[in-house]
This record gives sequence, structure tokens and C-alpha cells, in this order.
Amino acid sequence: MTDEQFDRRVRDADPYRPEVIAHLGGAAQELLEEIMSTPILESVTEPPGRRSRPRRRLTGGLATAGVAAAVLAVVFGISMVKTGQPGGQEAAPETSSSSVAPGMGSYSAMVLKAAEQNPRLLVDQPGWKAQHVDGFAKRTGSITYSKGERGLRMSWYEATEYAVRHKDRLQVSKPESVQVDRWPGDLFRYNEREFEVLLKPRDGSFVEVRTVGAWTRADFDRVLASVVRVDARTWLASLPAEIVTPERVNERAAAVLADVPLPPGFDPATLNVEGINDPSQFGIRVIGPVGCAWITEWKRAKESNDEDALRRATDALRSSHNWKALQQIDIDGYWADGFWETADRLAAGGPVHPKMFNPCNAEQ
Amino acid sequence: MSSGTEHEKRFQRVYAANFEPLLAYAMRRVEQPEDAADIVAETFLVAWRRSHEMPPEAEVRLWLHGVARRVLANHHRSGARRGRLGDRLRQRFRSALAVDPGSEVPELLTVRAALARLNEVDRELLMLTFWEGLEPREVAVVLELNPAAVRTRLSRARARLRDLIGHDLDPPGHVLDVMAVRALEEGR
Repeated sequence: MTDEQFDRRVRDADPYRPEVIAHLGGAAQELLEEIMSTPILESVTEPPGRRSRPRRRLTGGLATAGVAAAVLAVVFGISMVKTGQPGGQEAAPETSSSSVAPGMGSYSAMVLKAAEQNPRLLVDQPGWKAQHVDGFAKRTGSITYSKGERGLRMSWYEATEYAVRHKDRLQVSKPESVQVDRWPGDLFRYNEREFEVLLKPRDGSFVEVRTVGAWTRADFDRVLASVVRVDARTWLASLPAEIVTPERVNERAAAVLADVPLPPGFDPATLNVEGINDPSQFGIRVIGPVGCAWITEWKRAKESNDEDALRRATDALRSSHNWKALQQIDIDGYWADGFWETADRLAAGGPVHPKMFNPCNAEQ
Repeated sequence: MSSGTEHEKRFQRVYAANFEPLLAYAMRRVEQPEDAADIVAETFLVAWRRSHEMPPEAEVRLWLHGVARRVLANHHRSGARRGRLGDRLRQRFRSALAVDPGSEVPELLTVRAALARLNEVDRELLMLTFWEGLEPREVAVVLELNPAAVRTRLSRARARLRDLIGHDLDPPGHVLDVMAVRALEEGR
């Protein structure tokens, strides 16, 4: 075989089939529009101050925007909201530095559109603080907010799951009809101190409002009576400054990674953090892939006897005890402790049992 | 999209000029062809978000290959499809491949099987050279290697592949649908 024949043979073995392009229809153009409708975020390595401008959406229809799944299915409650005129459905937020941190009107069309398509409930009572915000993607998510010893957890799900959940609650107690800002639902009583309301499906999702801590029925009725449904901008503006919305992702990721060594080839720009998250959930979604990549690198270095790389990976994993964002992740202490346990095991020479915590497993 | 800033127009040009090369790049490196749609979508999304870092258009293709490499590496690490962007592209892609059943001749499968047996660096050097059609100096940019080192390693990789193919005249028992190789992980 001559060199020329050899080269031709290798080229001919290319599995790519150019004719595929002809069958893509408008999908390539649609993808371009999806991409250009997302906010431009600064590089995480960039110093703050060079702000991106909000993006306009190039095409209508949320259905085409896969990225827009980032902010779906939203029910939200938080303080600092005044109801509108008597009988009015919308509420306007008080202006406070924390409640309007993102800046009214600065949201991308994508974020607003997603918010508009979902229920948005706020507690119109002072003193409530949002915590444990998780998800807001793909029509599921939850937020727990609290005041003093009491909390209220709002979770929302696909409307298709309503029947099963409602049937289950019928085993809990007899349902009692209630309304939350004219949104009908059923109230169930677990015991004298614990209650739940299932709001009926609306716009593709339904909401479960569950008490956390010790409540009285009178307190629950009073709080439910103060829940209002608000417009998208109000809802977005009411997110406390520490909650990470899509438009804050890069800035916050940079902060999370400030003292975290990055594995070889790991590009923070490829991090994909969906939805809206509280600092802990966000930290997990940023540190998880980094930890996973370090563990992968450690295993690779170990298997290939790459001593330098092994030492770097070991040092990085060992340093995880000092990562500030990891120290601040506090989901019952489980996630960070699991991370450190695995990191320490590797740093000590491994091996890691398959049942040990592994940030490569998204379920963890 | 008829209007827009210069910046947007530039990105549209870059996208139009590089969509197919990036799709081909991704197709050559994933196990399931539909995954290539995810890689392409993700790569251009990263490129859009980092478009202020984008080099002049003459150099942008190599920069995109570098982005795609990192996206691919993360894709393999996570072991999961992203599935949030470019959903229609993935669907179209699947049906497009169904249109062409792609009966492969044994000779091609032999070459692919031999490539799959090379180490990651050799394989990536050869794929970038023969399939992406990059010059050694361009391969060096994508892989962030010294151009002289690329030439040396390319020569060695070529010899190894030739050796493997020479000893493997029959098609392999296990038929690879696509190359299905893992991404070369950076710095390794």
C-alpha cells in the first residue's frame, strides 16, 4: 500500500455523512435562534463591571427554546410584596435593595416568558424569607420559605401527576375546599399541627403547599389568605439577592470557584446550571462537576501511573476542605460531608467503593 | 433575524460557516449520532456566551474546535445527554440518519477499528488531520501542543495505524456504527 493509498483509506473511513445536512430541515436555523436568544454572560474569569446587555428573543414560542426550560413551572412566595388594588390580581413589590436586585426590566425575554407561563404565588406578609430554592425547571421545583420557627414549602409538579397525588392525600384526611387567591384547591390535615393544600392543575402544573414546623389551623388559614398571584416581573424581582437566577449564573459560578482548583481541560463556561437555585443548590451544581472531573482525573492518573497528575489531583481533592462554597453548602450536611469523605479516601490512596458518595452521579 | 448588531451578524456568519464542520467533528466522536446534536448545540451556546473572546473569523474554526473538545470531554465525564438545547436538531438528525441506512464496506470498518485501538492522542491527531482536514500547525492549536511535537507524533501515529491496518485485512467482528471514541482529555 502506497502512502497515497493509505491516506485515501483513512479519509474514506470517515463516519461523517455530508448528506445528513440536507435532511436537517430548518433545525440548524432554529438552533441558532435558540442560542442567540439566551443571555450573553460574561466569562467567569472576567472581572465584574463588564455587563452584558439583555437579549431580545428572536422567535416567538417558548416551545422552541430548549434553554428556556431553565425557568419553568414557577410558584413562589416571599415577603415584601404589597397587594395591588382591592380585587386586583397583580401585586407590586416594595422597592428595597434586595427585592429588586436584578433590576426591573433587565430580564431577558426568555426568562420573562418562562415566568409568565407559570404560576407565581407570593405571601403578602412581612418577615417571610425564601430558602432552599430548587429546580424551577421542567415544571417541577420547590421553594421553602420561613418566618421564625415556621415554614411553608411550595412544590409544583406536572399536571399529569395531580390525580395520583390527590388520591394519595385522600388517605390522609377528608379534603376541604379552599381557595388561594381564587385558585381552588383541597386542604388536607395530617394532624393538629401539619397541613397541606393541593391546588388544582392550572397551565400544566399544580402546586402543593405544605406546612413545615408546628402550625395551627388558624395560622395556616391566615397565611393562605395572604397569598397572591403576581406578574412575572414582580415575581422575579422578589427573589432575594442570594438566589441565583439564570442571569446571575456566571457571576455566581466565578464566586463559587474562586478558591477551587480546576481540573485539566475543565472549562467553567461549559457548566450548565438550570433554573433558579438557592446558594446551596447552586453550589452543588457548580462544585459537583468540578469534583467529578477531579475524581475522573485522579482515576486516570492512577491507572496510567502519571505521578505528576496524580499528585495534582490528590492535592486538589485534599484542598476541598478549604473551598468556601463547599463549606457553605448545607443540605443537612449530607452533600459536603459525602464529598469530603470520597475526596479524603482518594487522597489517601483509594479505592472508592461504588456505594460511596460520588459527585459524578447527578442524583447525589 | 434580518436585523441585529454587527456582533450578532458576525455570530450568524460564524455559525453558518462552522455548523457542518462542528457537526461532523461531533459525529465522529460520539457513540450515538443524536448526541452529536447535543455537542454542537452546547458548543455554539458556549461560543455565543463567550463570543467576546472569539478570535478573528479566519481563526475561529480552530477556536470552536477547542471549545467543542472541552464540551465533549465534559459530556463524556457526565455520561449524560444534556437534552435541553437543540431538541429539534436531535430529532431531525435521527430521522436524517434513518433515511440513509449507511451500509458500510468492510474496508472502512477495518480502518475505524484500527483507529479505535490507537491511544487517545494518536487517534485524535489522525482524526483531526484526516477527517477534520487540519494542518499539523492547526492540530497543534486545537490540542494546545507544540507544532513540532504534533508533527513528530503524527508521523508516529500514522505508522502505528498503518501497522494495525496491515495486520488486519479482514473486517473486525465487532462492527462500529460510528467511531465511538472518547474525547481526548485536555492536558493528558
